[in-house]
Amino acid sequence: MRKWQALIAAVFLSTALFVPFLVSTDYTLQILFRVFLFAALGLAWNLVGGYAGQLSLGHAAYFGVGAYGLALFSKLGISPWASVFLGVVLAMISAAMIGIVSFRLRGPYFALCTIAFAEVLRLVAKNLPSVTGGDVGMQVPLLFTHSTIRFFYWAGVLLTAFAFALSAWIERSRFGYYLMAIREDQDTALSVGVNATRCKLWALVISAAITGLGGALYASMFLFIVPDQVPAMDISTEIAIVAMLGGAGSLLGPLLGSVVLESASEIFKNVFKEANLLIYGVLIVVVVLFMPEGIVGAITRKLSLFKKAPTAPFAAPLPVSAEEESERMVLNK
Amino acid sequence: MVNWLYVALQAILNGLLTGALYALIGMGMALIFGVMRIVNFAHGAFLMLGMYATYVLFQATGGSPYYQFPVAGILLFVVGYATYMVLLRPIRGQVDFMVILLTMGLALILTDGAQLIFGADYHQINIPLLSRNIHLGSQISLNAPWLVSFAIALVLACALYWVVTHTMFGRAARAIAQNPYAAPLMGINVNRVQAISFGIGSAAAGIAGALLLPVFYLFPEVGNQFKLKSFVMVVLGGMGSIQGAAIAGLVLGVVESLTSLYWGNEWALAVDFVLFILVLSLKPSGIFGSQRA
Repeated sequence: MRKWQALIAAVFLSTALFVPFLVSTDYTLQILFRVFLFAALGLAWNLVGGYAGQLSLGHAAYFGVGAYGLALFSKLGISPWASVFLGVVLAMISAAMIGIVSFRLRGPYFALCTIAFAEVLRLVAKNLPSVTGGDVGMQVPLLFTHSTIRFFYWAGVLLTAFAFALSAWIERSRFGYYLMAIREDQDTALSVGVNATRCKLWALVISAAITGLGGALYASMFLFIVPDQVPAMDISTEIAIVAMLGGAGSLLGPLLGSVVLESASEIFKNVFKEANLLIYGVLIVVVVLFMPEGIVGAITRKLSLFKKAPTAPFAAPLPVSAEEESERMVLNK
Repeated sequence: MVNWLYVALQAILNGLLTGALYALIGMGMALIFGVMRIVNFAHGAFLMLGMYATYVLFQATGGSPYYQFPVAGILLFVVGYATYMVLLRPIRGQVDFMVILLTMGLALILTDGAQLIFGADYHQINIPLLSRNIHLGSQISLNAPWLVSFAIALVLACALYWVVTHTMFGRAARAIAQNPYAAPLMGINVNRVQAISFGIGSAAAGIAGALLLPVFYLFPEVGNQFKLKSFVMVVLGGMGSIQGAAIAGLVLGVVESLTSLYWGNEWALAVDFVLFILVLSLKPSGIFGSQRA
């Protein structure tokens, strides 16, 4: 199954490289850029949320740091590409710092903590007009000055390909197995000598690097960023939903999720105008209720129905005593 | 004379008035969290529903939200009860991951549904009480609508506390919070108690919305900030302790008010989150004791 997924993705992504020669309008290309950007972000999120099973709802923080990094460093006179690099480094550093605090927590507390960090970053960007322009926003330099949209599109496809290859490699590595062990049962993983905190931190830092790069691309594409749009809760949610919809913890999931979600949102944008997030809500509810393993998971289960018993990616925890549970839920020991 | 003292006192009093409404929102969230271990991301959307319901009612009848708030409460109780029965019950036992996502999805549906029906415009209502102020001495004045909502919120908060501590329902709810595996063995109908808890928690948010309507702007995304604040309160108050969440609400109101006074209004929410992160990382059992509802 894994080989097939890799093959499908390789064919899909290499075909995607030729699309700009067939598509004439910039608008279509811009939408396709968004599809691939969010596929890459979903793949990045998948390292933490899918393989390691840590529901991060604050990936907008790294997205925002990448975007604002590009804008701020180039304002200081550093060349755009060097600024992208510095922004990504900054995103990785902030991921390490956020991770050190939030990985001490479990379950819903972890999710809430990541939201809090992303919101603090948004509010800081909003409330320091002398540095970030505040609500007015900030100008971002253009990374590609020649046939702009095409190059952004290609950059998006390449970022997705990179994120995919990295995920495929991690999935088969020792590190990947550690992450999945943590997801299945952190206490057992700890007991067999997995350094859970360090593994999760590395996963988050790698994830943040890709997310930060995505943020920089996004910002440069639109030339302008405002705090309520770039490190916003909506971005965090969208990234998580893309991966969950396709199938968290699977290689092809985020790619498929992004294609489905972004095209659905594009179609519904014309129907519902400003209320286009409605379709996100409906998709989330449907996925959670009817296919908790995501689209890829549901297909895989259908295909392998006669081969082996289906396994749920996220098993419900075994009952434990109340005190033990309430302690386990909050703190990682 | 000691002018700064009056200014600070005024800010603290204003903070307490706001805090009572926060407390109501936080207690609703804490009840849900305590009994079900569900972080309800739709809590803000429920508050928004309560506001719109009261707004529609006000447009139709012209009556003050201060005596029409029970309508929002009843409506939101039904919505909460139905949400539990239709959406949450089927996925009980799944990891909290899924529950968080589901309530997030529900919040998006409600928020954008409201946007579809009512549009993205800001609304405000005007009642005569709004312009009344009550003066305490020469330096301090309190806005009458806030005072009324403070009184109502206080009564309701006490009533909720009484229900949880003194009724059979409350006893069952506390039993489930204490041990969800032993409670059904003692003959508690877990589904029913959880559904009612979810209904009551949602009703608290809806009533808070109704009480906020006269003193706040109404727009589809109004609930988001209150949702985030209710997370802060639940954590500050200590996992699912409803009295903890109530105190946390008052504290949050005062902290925000003082932050606004000395640093500016725009930093209030940021201070909330910093407080939240500090509590989570330093004393995750909450700052108001470890006793749970």
